Amino acid sequence: MASLADVDKHRVTAVLVSHNGALWLPEVVAALTSQTRPIDLITAVDTGSQDASTKLLKSARIPFFVADRETGFGEAVSLAVEKLPKAIDHEWLWLIHDDCAPAPTALAELLSAIDNRPQVVMVGPKLLGWHDRTHLLEAGISIAGNGARWTGLEPFEYDQGQHDGIHDVLSVSTAGALIRRDVFEELGGFDHNLSLFRDDVDFGWRARTAGHSVIAATSAVAFHAQASATERRTIDVEGAFLHRPLLLDRRNAAYVMLANSSWWMLPWIALQLFGSAIARAIGFLLAKLPGYASDEILAFTSLIIRPKKILEARKVRKKQKFVSARVVATYIPPRWSQLRLGTERLVELVRAKVFPENNSSSVSILDSVEDEDLLTPVNTSNWLSIFKRPEVLGFVAITVITLINSRNRFGALVGGALPISPSGARDLWSFYLESWHQVGMGSSLATPSWVAVMAIASLVTLGNVQFFIISFFIIAPILMMWSCFNLLKKLTSNSWISIPAALLYALSPVTIAAISSGHIATLVLLIAVPFVALILHDWRRIENYSWRKISSVSLLFSLLYAFTLMSFVIAFIAAIVITLDNYFDFKVSQDKELLRDRISKRAALIFVPFFVNAPFSFEAIVHPSRFLTEPGLLIPGGGPLPVLFGNPGGTGSIPLWLVSPILLILVISLFSSTHARGIAEYGFGALCLAVLVGSLSISTHGNEGAVRVWTGPVLSIATLAAVASGAVMLDRLRETLVLSHIHYRHVLSAILLFVTASYAVLAIGYSVTTGADSAVQANRATVMPAFLSVESQTKILVLREIGSEDDKKIQYYISRGKDISLGEPDIAPKQNTEIATAARALIDGTGITSSKVLGDYGIEYVFAKSPFKKEIVRSIDGLGGFTRTSATSLGVVWRVSQPTGRLLFINKDDVRSVLETGEFGTPTYVPGPGTLILTESSNRSWQVLQNGYRLNRTNNEMGLPTFEVTEAGEISLIHDGTARRAWLSLQVIFLVIVIVMALPAGRRKREISEKELA
Amino acid sequence: MKLVRPLRFLAVLISVLGISSVLSVAVTTQNFSESYPVVVCPPTLDGLGSQISLSSKKTPYQKLQNRSIKTARVKVLRLPVKKDSLVITSEGVTPVVWQSKSGVWAGGAVCVGPASSQWFVGGAADVTTRGRLIIVNSGLGDAEVDVETYTENGKQPLRTEKVSSKSYIVIRIDSLAPGDKRVAVHVAPRSGRINAFMIDEQGKGLKALGGDLVNAAVAVSKNVVIPAIPNQNSKNKPALPHTLRVLAPGDVDASITVEVLSGDGVFVPVGLNARSISAGIVTEFKLDPKITSKVMAVRITSTEPVVAAVKSTTVASGRKDFVWSTAAPELVRLTMAITGLDPAISFAGENINVALNVTLTNGKVVQQSIKGSDFAKWRIPENARSFTITKVGQGTYAGALVSSVNGYGYFPIAAGSVLTKIEVPDSNIRVLNP
Repeated sequence: MASLADVDKHRVTAVLVSHNGALWLPEVVAALTSQTRPIDLITAVDTGSQDASTKLLKSARIPFFVADRETGFGEAVSLAVEKLPKAIDHEWLWLIHDDCAPAPTALAELLSAIDNRPQVVMVGPKLLGWHDRTHLLEAGISIAGNGARWTGLEPFEYDQGQHDGIHDVLSVSTAGALIRRDVFEELGGFDHNLSLFRDDVDFGWRARTAGHSVIAATSAVAFHAQASATERRTIDVEGAFLHRPLLLDRRNAAYVMLANSSWWMLPWIALQLFGSAIARAIGFLLAKLPGYASDEILAFTSLIIRPKKILEARKVRKKQKFVSARVVATYIPPRWSQLRLGTERLVELVRAKVFPENNSSSVSILDSVEDEDLLTPVNTSNWLSIFKRPEVLGFVAITVITLINSRNRFGALVGGALPISPSGARDLWSFYLESWHQVGMGSSLATPSWVAVMAIASLVTLGNVQFFIISFFIIAPILMMWSCFNLLKKLTSNSWISIPAALLYALSPVTIAAISSGHIATLVLLIAVPFVALILHDWRRIENYSWRKISSVSLLFSLLYAFTLMSFVIAFIAAIVITLDNYFDFKVSQDKELLRDRISKRAALIFVPFFVNAPFSFEAIVHPSRFLTEPGLLIPGGGPLPVLFGNPGGTGSIPLWLVSPILLILVISLFSSTHARGIAEYGFGALCLAVLVGSLSISTHGNEGAVRVWTGPVLSIATLAAVASGAVMLDRLRETLVLSHIHYRHVLSAILLFVTASYAVLAIGYSVTTGADSAVQANRATVMPAFLSVESQTKILVLREIGSEDDKKIQYYISRGKDISLGEPDIAPKQNTEIATAARALIDGTGITSSKVLGDYGIEYVFAKSPFKKEIVRSIDGLGGFTRTSATSLGVVWRVSQPTGRLLFINKDDVRSVLETGEFGTPTYVPGPGTLILTESSNRSWQVLQNGYRLNRTNNEMGLPTFEVTEAGEISLIHDGTARRAWLSLQVIFLVIVIVMALPAGRRKREISEKELA
Repeated sequence: MKLVRPLRFLAVLISVLGISSVLSVAVTTQNFSESYPVVVCPPTLDGLGSQISLSSKKTPYQKLQNRSIKTARVKVLRLPVKKDSLVITSEGVTPVVWQSKSGVWAGGAVCVGPASSQWFVGGAADVTTRGRLIIVNSGLGDAEVDVETYTENGKQPLRTEKVSSKSYIVIRIDSLAPGDKRVAVHVAPRSGRINAFMIDEQGKGLKALGGDLVNAAVAVSKNVVIPAIPNQNSKNKPALPHTLRVLAPGDVDASITVEVLSGDGVFVPVGLNARSISAGIVTEFKLDPKITSKVMAVRITSTEPVVAAVKSTTVASGRKDFVWSTAAPELVRLTMAITGLDPAISFAGENINVALNVTLTNGKVVQQSIKGSDFAKWRIPENARSFTITKVGQGTYAGALVSSVNGYGYFPIAAGSVLTKIEVPDSNIRVLNP
């Protein structure tokens, strides 16, 4: 406590500014009058209050005058100061807000703090919350480079005296600030452009550059309601556009930064302000607070379009500046500290979500009985006992089985449905974004969304896609078991049931087949379906789901749709069935509102993800077979019979004799009286759908031949339903069986357990032996020889015998010099009829014109991959128009005799030549007038530019794009990607909307209770 | 009531199974294109005469050098060839070419489609030889052919020949292994539609010693059957001599057992049981079986794949000639044109059961069935245009012997052009995935 003698040399004039502060004013007035060091003079300014503020002032006998309603805080203080008697030495202005109540000793402590510090011109108290008086609001303030108000405190920081002391600060809040009157007047008071907010920082900044000091004395305490900042009252000051406090705050923050910073810092500061405004605006949008988002943008733009104000402000500050601006730099928080604080907040947020505090378990120390501790036996936990827990045993087992099964898959994976992965995520992104894909004769089909998902997911492996795919295939069974276990935990508390059941799920026929044949989508579904079941377990009563939850599930569905639109088919059919059921309910209840709510929510759940996956999903409407595919090559399924037993069949599937118990479990569960019955009905529905779908044949993904549909995605649901219903049945079965006489249940249980155990043993045996020699293998030799990849953009007709030794089939495709990579089969175009005919004629020996046709389509080479039928090689040799260029162990290569390439030029004399094109957009010289033929599939986005004009484009009789050239000169060939970019933008918009909808909504400050705020 | 719902589910599943079985039947995944490749007949070299036996006057053909894809009709059933090699679209009928040097020798060969490998066991490269190897490229692109020669001195350096499109080259056999007496040649095209033919003609000074067209074996085998070997004998004179030439072209020596099959029975000649032959060395054995049959067959069983042929001395119209009886592939159903040849066909096999239809020049069809064990022979009726093997048991081999005024000839009963069933290929991007 300062001595009274020291305090007496100061004269303190309190200036109280009120504006609709009747709520807090009584306590403020009381606080002022109860100061241990009495205020020498008190004056008040009311800025057009419409409440009882003036009455209260009057009744408190505080002299006041009324200013205009739009008068800002600084202006009001200036008006008050003008009316004061002439300044004397050691006269201080104590600025009091109408919502700020200083503690009784506040003034005394403030004066004590400045007593031996003559350089101090501004001192502020420690500000605590109005309601929660342990909530530390401020102990000095500053401004961050991005304009954020910087207190250096944690949110809702509890005041334990941790920041106590006298600190040099950039500024202090005007609430309770003590300012030397002569300096206040010398600096021209607060900047009138800052009618509210940030005037304190600005003043502190100016005081600092004028050579003075500003301190925060935490021994002085004031309680602040922050009524304007927390939107407890309307902002009526001049320039407060739309009366929005955030807008005013942000504009003023930018103003302070731009008016006070050094010239050379201005561009960087402006950029930082703009960038942070955008970032915050996005954040507010995500929190569904568009008003705040617009405040952020408007604040910056409204200031930047009026630079005159800033220039004038800078002129004023230049005159007042006496020391280098570097004195302020020490008070501006470094960028890393902002980042650290932001990260800490994010981590805390996530922690709170993931590990919510369990208050119920907290026991008062008063309730504890210390004596009990002595009686409780000491728990000496033997760590070996961990291995007796079913969870540990189960996960160790699946890890060991998976590692043994994956012994041939440690390396770049390829084979089955899985093409080789590009090395980096960048390649996937460029593939996803490009409008023209050089696959076959070229394709403009939309790249499916899973490519983007994969590119994002590969960030886990630092963008290494190959490593990500390897890791994914190895870890997938473990993830499946984990996700299934999470579901089963809700169905049974007995881990000895849930763990083996989850293990069976991870060793199910569909899992083994999906891993062996490289079906990524099925693996993703197998991992995700248990979570979907967890979230949507009560989707018959979908009306109970909030729109936010619907949006969250839509996001999950979007991910599944991205990998396979078969998930859309499943969801759509399921929705129809359940909606019919709901309709029958409606017939009884006649509750239209309920029915409408259910239908609209269900429709949103099914169709919103479809929109999020546009344009890939929209294209499926035109190519319906895409509804039944999944990423990669079209590998045939096994048909309805294996599917009936839960085995998708085809390449990589377990043999038919290894019958899984899926069908048996589902059938038995159907007759169960437990909850298993309901689950089994879903499984049965999925199984029926799988059998039906498995009998269909489609040709897509670059495969002209019709092949049976792979039913993995549908079977994943049937498998999960079987596992879940089995677990539910077994849960209390033992007790039931023990208590009852032997009857059919005992027999059925025995059969079921025997079949399941047999399958488990055999499946594990198969998995660790033959199962390892799957179609998907690591580090396989490429199809295309390296020497054919040297010439870029070369089209090569590749002939190859595909299939097993007993069932080989000759197939062909046009290569661009390299093997296909991830995503390319999904957008592979349908084969051109003429090329197909030429290729067939090449094989059957009748293709005398094959060489010409291939040449016309820009195909430069024919490559027969070894081993290949010698008769056909001889046949091609003898056809004419092909010149053998090599015959190695990799295969035989012929060059098409006529000159050909990507861009052909036919001059007026009908002489054909090949133009070098390079990458798209590279200038190419055309020797004279004539016709350009682009040997890529026709597409309206092809453009050839000459002298800034587009050449007229038509299609020739072969369907290839041709361009009329009227003069010699340089041309550029481009594929206009505007349409693709537009679609991608649309997709991003859809996605952002769904993400925003799924995120928890932010609250406006006025919606937050005062208790929460302070 | 409790069971109604589960039973409904089961009923739905059964219905779905029914529907899916109907749906899945509609799928066919493979289409095939069937065709007989064109066959190529050897060119007629200077001093020789050729006739090709055909089964139809409407058979299209083309001269090898003709660059056009147009074909002409033969218009006759026995087409004389002055010079060119002919490419014949015989559509499953195997034409037979009969070549002769007037008053010196005659021989027959089967016109065949392009082959990926041909083994010629016959000829010599010593001073007596006038033999030639003819390599025909009937394709529109240039071809490269490896010619591997084996003699009694082992494998000779590989020779690679380039044959321009639609042309043929003639290589003198004595240039392949100068001075060597026992020759076997393997023609293996690296590229192109290649057929090779060999003429073995021998003479001593101005004296002609005969000649023959040596038919090719397509592959080496551990079981080689030479089904028709002329064995001209009479009561007063000893049978004319035979020589068995064998080559094991691999890296391991072979142990061979030779059985002679004839109307007199089956026996292994002395010294030819488990006889060892060196790998890569062309080995000859004298084969003079004491049998009364005019025709015989030889079956060779070996521990390693071998090729073999039997050279038989013959006399036709009082002139000495020789015949190279070569290995025949297993007999399959086929049609062979034999207009004007009047061949005697020999069958070899444990259970011979062959049914034939013989079409005469007047269009009549005569049916014939041949049954026997180990060996059977049958002479085709005169004025036969073609014969069709309609039924044949497993393990049966056949060869034909023809005697003419110019000499004696042999050709195996083998399809020159087999029905090629080529699957119509599909476009599938899978070919670009390892």
